[in-house]
Amino acid sequence: MRAFELTAPTTLDEALTSGATALAGGTTLVDLMKLDVLTPPRVVDINALPLRGIEVDPAGDLRIGALERMSAVAAHPQVYPVISRALLLSASQQLRNMASIGGNLMQRTRCGYFRDVAMPCNRRDPGSGCPAIEGANRMHAVLGTSDACVATHASDLAVALVALDARIELVSTQGGRSVALADFYRLPGDTPEREHDLRPGELIGEIVVPRLDWAARSTYVKVRDRQSYEFALCSVAVALDVRDGRVADVRIAAGGVGTVPWRLTAVEAALRGGPADEAAFEAAAQVAADGARPLSHNGYKTALLPRTVVRALLEVSRG
Amino acid sequence: MDITLEVNGETRHLSIDPRVTLLDALRERLGITGPKKGCDRGQCGACTVHVDGRPVLACLTLAATVREPVRTVEGLAADGRPHPVQQAFAEQDALQCGFCTSGQVMSAVAAVEQEVADVREFMSGNLCRCAAYPNIVAAVEQARSTKESADARV
Amino acid sequence: MTMRTDAPLKTSGAARYGLDVTPPGTVYGYVVTSTIAHGEITAMDVAAVRAAPGVLAVYTPFDPLPLRTPMSPLLGETWVPLQDTEVTYYGQPVGFVVAETFEQARDAALLVEVTYDRRPARTSLHAGLADALDAPPSLHGEPPTLQVLADGVESIEDALAASAVRVDATYETATQNHAAMEPHSAVAVWEDGRLTLYSGTQGSDLQAAQLAQALDVEPARVRALNPFVGGAFGGKGHAGVSAFLGAAAARDLGRPVKAALTREQVFTATATRPATVQRLRIGADADGRLTALAHDSWSSTTATPSFVEPTSHGTSREWYTTPNLAITQKMVPLHVPPTTFMRAPGEAPGSFALESAMDELAVALGMDPVELRLRNSSIAPPGRDLQWSSKHLDECFTLGAQRFGWAQRHRRRVDRDWLVGYGTATAMFPALRFPCAVRITLRPDDTAEVATSGADPGTGLRTVLSLFGAEALAIPPERVEAALGDSTLPPGGMSGGSTATASVGSAIAVGAPAVIDALVAVATGPGGLFEGREVAYADGRVFAEGDSATFGEVLRAAGRDEVTAIGTSAPGEEMTKHSFSSFGAQFCEVRVHRWTREVRMSRMLGVFDAGRIVHEQAARSQIMGGMIWGVSAALHEGLEIEESGRPANGDFASYLIPVNADIPTVDVEFVRYPDTLHNPVGARGLGEISVVGVAAAIANAVYDATGIRVRRIPIVLEDLLE
Repeated sequence: MRAFELTAPTTLDEALTSGATALAGGTTLVDLMKLDVLTPPRVVDINALPLRGIEVDPAGDLRIGALERMSAVAAHPQVYPVISRALLLSASQQLRNMASIGGNLMQRTRCGYFRDVAMPCNRRDPGSGCPAIEGANRMHAVLGTSDACVATHASDLAVALVALDARIELVSTQGGRSVALADFYRLPGDTPEREHDLRPGELIGEIVVPRLDWAARSTYVKVRDRQSYEFALCSVAVALDVRDGRVADVRIAAGGVGTVPWRLTAVEAALRGGPADEAAFEAAAQVAADGARPLSHNGYKTALLPRTVVRALLEVSRG
Repeated sequence: MDITLEVNGETRHLSIDPRVTLLDALRERLGITGPKKGCDRGQCGACTVHVDGRPVLACLTLAATVREPVRTVEGLAADGRPHPVQQAFAEQDALQCGFCTSGQVMSAVAAVEQEVADVREFMSGNLCRCAAYPNIVAAVEQARSTKESADARV
Repeated sequence: MTMRTDAPLKTSGAARYGLDVTPPGTVYGYVVTSTIAHGEITAMDVAAVRAAPGVLAVYTPFDPLPLRTPMSPLLGETWVPLQDTEVTYYGQPVGFVVAETFEQARDAALLVEVTYDRRPARTSLHAGLADALDAPPSLHGEPPTLQVLADGVESIEDALAASAVRVDATYETATQNHAAMEPHSAVAVWEDGRLTLYSGTQGSDLQAAQLAQALDVEPARVRALNPFVGGAFGGKGHAGVSAFLGAAAARDLGRPVKAALTREQVFTATATRPATVQRLRIGADADGRLTALAHDSWSSTTATPSFVEPTSHGTSREWYTTPNLAITQKMVPLHVPPTTFMRAPGEAPGSFALESAMDELAVALGMDPVELRLRNSSIAPPGRDLQWSSKHLDECFTLGAQRFGWAQRHRRRVDRDWLVGYGTATAMFPALRFPCAVRITLRPDDTAEVATSGADPGTGLRTVLSLFGAEALAIPPERVEAALGDSTLPPGGMSGGSTATASVGSAIAVGAPAVIDALVAVATGPGGLFEGREVAYADGRVFAEGDSATFGEVLRAAGRDEVTAIGTSAPGEEMTKHSFSSFGAQFCEVRVHRWTREVRMSRMLGVFDAGRIVHEQAARSQIMGGMIWGVSAALHEGLEIEESGRPANGDFASYLIPVNADIPTVDVEFVRYPDTLHNPVGARGLGEISVVGVAAAIANAVYDATGIRVRRIPIVLEDLLE
């Protein structure tokens, strides 16, 4: 960890004009500073800022302050099941008590090469190369990859939010702007170091989940090598609206397989209007991994993704 | 920088580098060595302490950012008697080498206080290489029934 | 005595492990490791490190701390760091930075610049199979290749060819790290030319001896302390890098030095269990009686060969009755981290292969796998005359099968979306003991002390010392204080090989009569309470005709502070009369998700014949932990070494060990037959046998659930995606 200056402003203006790296729960930043992956000269502790609160606004949209902790959001009664579940399947209870949801959306990839400064990494050190493409890539992405980077996006929450068309409200001294979360994250392309659309001087203020009454029937399935405290090999967020045995509407997104949270619009389209049964789910899921580019050790993900979609649909349809 | 920590009911003043984690402040500056450094990366739970009554990982917490009271395993006993969770861990043999135990106990105290439904999931943020897991669950359940009978008496 | 004696200390945070000590003036050391697997360090630029705030010293191969290579009869040579510029594995210690604070040392270490002359690294066990070398002789002194053939049989191949039913399969097990929760560490303090070292290890006397040799000081000038050890499992037998560098730097700087490996460094700079490849060929007659057994083993080892995982000698050599047996053990030297023994070395990975192959044989025969094992149970290792001293493996299987509901295994195949399978396996681990000395002291306050230098790394040895002392002196265990983890105590050897209970028990059985004799001499000697009279000792009292006194009263009357005696024991004549082993039967139930194919252990039972069980609760806990180690080997852990030699998953987020949610019911049962042919207390040790066989039982259950035979552990879900 390189020496740094730490300040703790109490007003948003002070924080936004500081030019410093924001520290909320610290579960990403402190970790990566110890590993020398991140070396900010100035850090601003934003925990005293007024970016809190979980509430449903008059339009029925759910608004969550960026500094709310994962555990508080997961436990809130007005949060959709898919969000609670994604949070409760993340990390551990201690980390969920620490990590803010703004920080959760901003967390960095868990790629072992990104985390090891002795190794090249285009995301950390542009142009240095990507050892994962020929290396230990069992955990890596098959969708949205490029020749520069194949690292997965690590957030479970982001997968649930992308499925629900969530937006984030960004604050800055220039005023605010609203961005769909799905558009906020960037594919790596040939600039994997640019992970998102947050501009200098901006902070995530709140997360807005549009009203979707039938998302009361939703869930999050996370497949991994151990039962808890691990990142996903593959995960699926699903909300399902079944009427008279047929799929009236559906939202699906996947994690653990893409360089960004991966919305499965083609599967959604294949399901809409069809029967809500196992055979239809299985048929629709066949397109889930379309466009996948498997590497030497992660080809199984192209088979696992459709299976995880079916499992999630079955679990949510059984209620 | 100068900071103030409230640890186990005592106010402690420290002059530290901002790089110092809560774990290293407790262990190396304040002599509070119950919390252990098993990984220093938030991947094992041996450093679990309570801040403001909630379990957190002291290894990923910068000491200078802590504003609320800190409680460690050393601060659980009351009137010289072990906390019911500590007693239950001893009686159920929920430990072997003991290195992870301080963190396990702090998570278990929260599991009992929060009346969690899925104890095994809740306790999964605390690795135990000796693998005392089934006994740890038994200890949480024993402490919970101790608490319930105490609550019933009140 | 209901609970382990140190439980109150461990649950309150009061137990002091090595790193919990911070003497005044302590400074902090931080190890720097290599980022290549093979080559030579041509230069190290440490100018920026020396200039960094708080830095007191930087040690490198170009500016080393003088250390000599220690040699011990039990451990062989122990590697000492920074003595040359050769790099033979990725993550090898190459530097040591000492600064006033931990943060200053850690962050200055980032500034070390190392220049290497790289050489090609051999890192693939598979690539090395073709030109593998013969391993050294086994622990029993047997050659790596051996055969036992029936009269008239020309070769094992002939015996296999003549068998009615045959299995021929190759299995693989992963490199593993002990991954004790306490990283290897040390606090070193010099005073008046004497070193005190606080460091969690498996034997304080071994540690002190290694340090004395390395530092070239009189053994009496080194005191190693390890009253509490945060797990070991074989990984803390040799003295570690932190101890050597910490002690040498503390001497150089005249300040106490505290040093710990990071978790990542533990994966390379300590040692690992080697990876193995094993080919099993088994022949049987139509009734399932073995006619031939061939077990060919390959183990990875270090570039200069060191420890080799003895998979065939540890299992097939001894487990089953067969007229024809062929064993080979080869090794493949690689540029990988040091190899060493780890919980059930040989038996754990060896049993995965043998017991999977036995299951394949049962399938081929259409026979109940339990029945197959009962039919081939041995009364002595093949080709040896010495019969097992006390073997009740059959009872373990029959009791276990009943308790587990083995007969129902074909009824319940699916539970909602989960496919259910049952598996079983044999477990065996040799009963050993080491030379051991224990001092027993009787005190005027009617308490006793039982003291030995040995370690309790979570095994319960501290509790066992009190129990054995109480039993031998016929007083309540609450009055027997145990002292251990201090190299100045009588040598108790290493906590390893599942030996400690049998070793200390045997020594106490010798020492207790001696200390009672000494007490009697005090009581009846000049000025004694019963001077010149006939006396007897019972229940903590000395009885003379019509009179008695506690031993404390006897000592007080004589003005004595204590009487003491040292009991020693070592393996002896019994080794010429019998073969000795513990035995067990493992049963597992697994669930495999119908869609996503992850495997979860849902229920397991182990029934063990381990001689006398000394402390029921600690014994069950240790067995349970070992069985969960088996689950971990089967489904979770494996250190993946990249072609470059870099470990791909050397941290606790990616080197997976089970979490609480992975482990539901673990049932443990014992058949209780004290083995007094092995040692006077009848206990055979159970730290290691518990892990043996579990990985095979799980793989067998996965086959039962899915019809897919996975011959490589850890099993991952992609193995089961059709």
